[in-house]
Amino acid sequence: MRPFQVYVAKDSEHAVSLLCEHAPRAVILAGGTDLLVDLKHGSKPWDVIVDISRAEDLNAITLTGEGLAIGARVTHTDIMRSPVIRESAPALIDAAHSIGAVQTRNLGTIGGNLMTCVPSMDSGPALLALDAGVTIRGPEGLRRLPLAELFVGPRKTSLAPTEILVDIVIPKHNLGKPLVFLKFGLRKGQALALVNVAAGCRLNGGKVWEPTIALGAVAPTVIRAQAAEAYLAGRAPSEQNLSETGRIAAQEAKPISDFRASADYRRDLIAVLVARALRQACAGTEIEQAEMIA
Amino acid sequence: MNERVKLQEADRVEAKTPEDLRRADEDLRLPAIAPREQYPIDVRAPEAREQTNAVGQRATRPDNRLQGLGQLKYIADFSFPGMLFARIKRAGIAAARIVRIDTSAAEAMPGVMAVLTGSEIPVNSFGPSYQDQPVLAQDRVFHAGDGVAAVAAVTEQIAEEAVERIVVEYEPLPAVFDPIEAMRDDAVRVHEDGSNIYTSKTIRKGDIEKGFADSYRIFEETFRTQMVEHVPLEPHAAIADWDANGRVTIWSTLGRITLGRADIARTLKMPMSRIRIAGTIVGGNFGGKNEITQEPVLALLSKKTGRPVKGTYSREEEFLATTTRHPFIMDYKTGVTKEGRILARKIRLVLDGGAYCSWSETTLGKACILSSGPYKVENLLVEAFAVYTNKTMTGAMRGFGAPQVCFAYESQMDDIARALDIDPLEIRLRNAFDEGAISPTGQVLHSVVVKESLAKAAERFGWEARTP
Amino acid sequence: MTDIAITVNGELRKASVPSETTLLQLLRDNFQLTGAKLGCDVGDCGACTVIVDGAAVNACLMLAVQAEGRDIITIEGLANRQVFHPLQQAFEESGALQCGFCGPGVILSAKALLDENPDPDVYEIRDALAGNLCRCTGYTKMIEAVQNAARILRGEPEISSRMISR
Repeated sequence: MRPFQVYVAKDSEHAVSLLCEHAPRAVILAGGTDLLVDLKHGSKPWDVIVDISRAEDLNAITLTGEGLAIGARVTHTDIMRSPVIRESAPALIDAAHSIGAVQTRNLGTIGGNLMTCVPSMDSGPALLALDAGVTIRGPEGLRRLPLAELFVGPRKTSLAPTEILVDIVIPKHNLGKPLVFLKFGLRKGQALALVNVAAGCRLNGGKVWEPTIALGAVAPTVIRAQAAEAYLAGRAPSEQNLSETGRIAAQEAKPISDFRASADYRRDLIAVLVARALRQACAGTEIEQAEMIA
Repeated sequence: MNERVKLQEADRVEAKTPEDLRRADEDLRLPAIAPREQYPIDVRAPEAREQTNAVGQRATRPDNRLQGLGQLKYIADFSFPGMLFARIKRAGIAAARIVRIDTSAAEAMPGVMAVLTGSEIPVNSFGPSYQDQPVLAQDRVFHAGDGVAAVAAVTEQIAEEAVERIVVEYEPLPAVFDPIEAMRDDAVRVHEDGSNIYTSKTIRKGDIEKGFADSYRIFEETFRTQMVEHVPLEPHAAIADWDANGRVTIWSTLGRITLGRADIARTLKMPMSRIRIAGTIVGGNFGGKNEITQEPVLALLSKKTGRPVKGTYSREEEFLATTTRHPFIMDYKTGVTKEGRILARKIRLVLDGGAYCSWSETTLGKACILSSGPYKVENLLVEAFAVYTNKTMTGAMRGFGAPQVCFAYESQMDDIARALDIDPLEIRLRNAFDEGAISPTGQVLHSVVVKESLAKAAERFGWEARTP
Repeated sequence: MTDIAITVNGELRKASVPSETTLLQLLRDNFQLTGAKLGCDVGDCGACTVIVDGAAVNACLMLAVQAEGRDIITIEGLANRQVFHPLQQAFEESGALQCGFCGPGVILSAKALLDENPDPDVYEIRDALAGNLCRCTGYTKMIEAVQNAARILRGEPEISSRMISR
């Protein structure tokens, strides 16, 4: 790695002041599982690293009046072990479990996963499907943003170089909502998603209410399949309707062909995974992660 | 024990860490790691002159214990006083003429002790069969992983940075990447002197025309396999030390040290007797560490600097600049009776050889001999070609071409079985070698147990009870 | 240069290193603890696995600065004065390693697992070893070895690998 300076931020305010001092040559280091790879092989010449891995105010998982707040530097392992999350948003646990392997989950953070902003991120779909918001701290203080507005493109967020992600908030009304996360990777461990899906809904009088479908790795950012959601809303969760929902979701995605899979293959995966996730969400059954990852 | 006591005494004078202690008392030499005595010393070795049974005994690998303790020393774990670190600049272009190499900026960097280019290598070519591979590309680049210059510096970081500062001016040349295309007469020549088909082999047995004429059905199919990298967990690494007596010692992950020494002697243009190669513990070879790579470069950098020089490939270099498994394009034409017995088989194998021959000759030969499978084929024609392309060179990898042809003949066997509605196990039993069968090249085979093995395997995994 | 003080295998160690030094470089180059290996340098292979504050991590993906004040266990710290760690014994007995380059990482991943879960099932062991790649032998014997070590640690009679393989 090329030489750089590391400043250890004691909290998010300190981190912002360090960013203000050194932007745009400064970058945030949380878990480092993406950033260190970038520093070793990437072309971006960061001179200053602001290490938030000890920031005191970014590490909590708390239930507030607003909902469930997850600090930006909470690791994937922390998420997997959180009783609160297991209770209120278990799909996040499946998503966290599907990331990398034990060693990377122990280091990598949910905030880092979102902020690296690769289309195949596994933390994104479940949070997007739960209408999560994010809290951002900048020189002017805190602001709140819907998660969807954080994502701009591959490896590009809407944050200014002097801003940092503080926490992710899942609104109260969505806690406990049936949601299923499914990922298709080429192997069980250490695999990026070819397609990942988070889909859920509520049932009311035999009809689907508030269906939410989020897709990863099939567009420049993680997206919501809005046409598919609109189709399913108010319909019965029949096999036919769920398949059709999957088909519509596959149509509105914009997957690319690369060395991992072709666009056509990814479209087929979307259709199958969306229908499967919805079926499981409707059944309200716990899903076996082991079976899902091919 | 003595040292422990000293440690405790030193502790009292407010020494907090071993480093403090060293500063406090230079004579106190704490081991960098915990003392050896802490490991159980129950060495399972027989007494001198004691005869032990080998057959029937359960053997453990002698290095297993050291592996588990993290005490097995691979090259990456070696260091010598004054040791420098080498990095090689990779071309990053598949085919080009090198117009100019400017190393001045790299040489001017503090900490850079030497820079080496291809023109400084006494004999700039090597290879186990054909010496068609330059140690460092000199006038031409043949594939993107070619080294074009090397640096020795006091740290890896400086060496990496120095490599970035070497400027190479290229005149791009047309390249060929598809082996079938490369076989055409009008194809771009990978190497100027001669055809892209650099080695070929033919096996003829019986009369295939008659065999096909007698066949009930003829099956034709093309099978392809991909390029595969060995990916040993330990990347290629070596340390060279050129001493003041003009002898060079090379510690290397090289698997074939005797062959390697001959190659190194050739490139350095010095007698083998002045070259000592220490083959160390290797962290995975799989055929990928069977020939020299950076050893001559390190030796010459060591000669220039008078210091030991260590080179370790990055994971990228493992993919770019070391050998891989040959991609095969395999045309299979097989004539069979109604009962699925093979009457004739015509095979064409095209091996994508990449930029250099490496072990292609060996791979080609073995693939040819094995291409008809463990099956009785009386009428056979095999034609095989290894072809240059402007890609990473292909060489030895577990099986020397056997896995590729196995994929083809077994796939076709299944195709035939399905088309003729014969059980896939049955069709293999009908065709498999018997005791005393003769291989395509006339070798009489003994201890042939293909049928027994198949039958036993089928029984073990419950072939009869399968759900189709 | 940054001053680092960390506890390595129970011993406080200090070094002054450039900021861009990884924990792996600190351990290998400054402390000569070469048990942790550099395989891929991007957190894929797990050859550099060490235990930081009880958790297995890729030492190649952690800056030395981030390890400041933390408690590190490397493979060198696993044997005590009397005996091997049961994992080391089980790995030797089962012949779970071939070239051995992945070994220290695998054993430390397994240790981190067994420290938390004394009786893991095969799926949990596979999950714990998913970040450690082996190109030689495969994982079957490693899993056997981890199960055997777990038995030893729980004080149950050891099932020799000879019995398992039959």
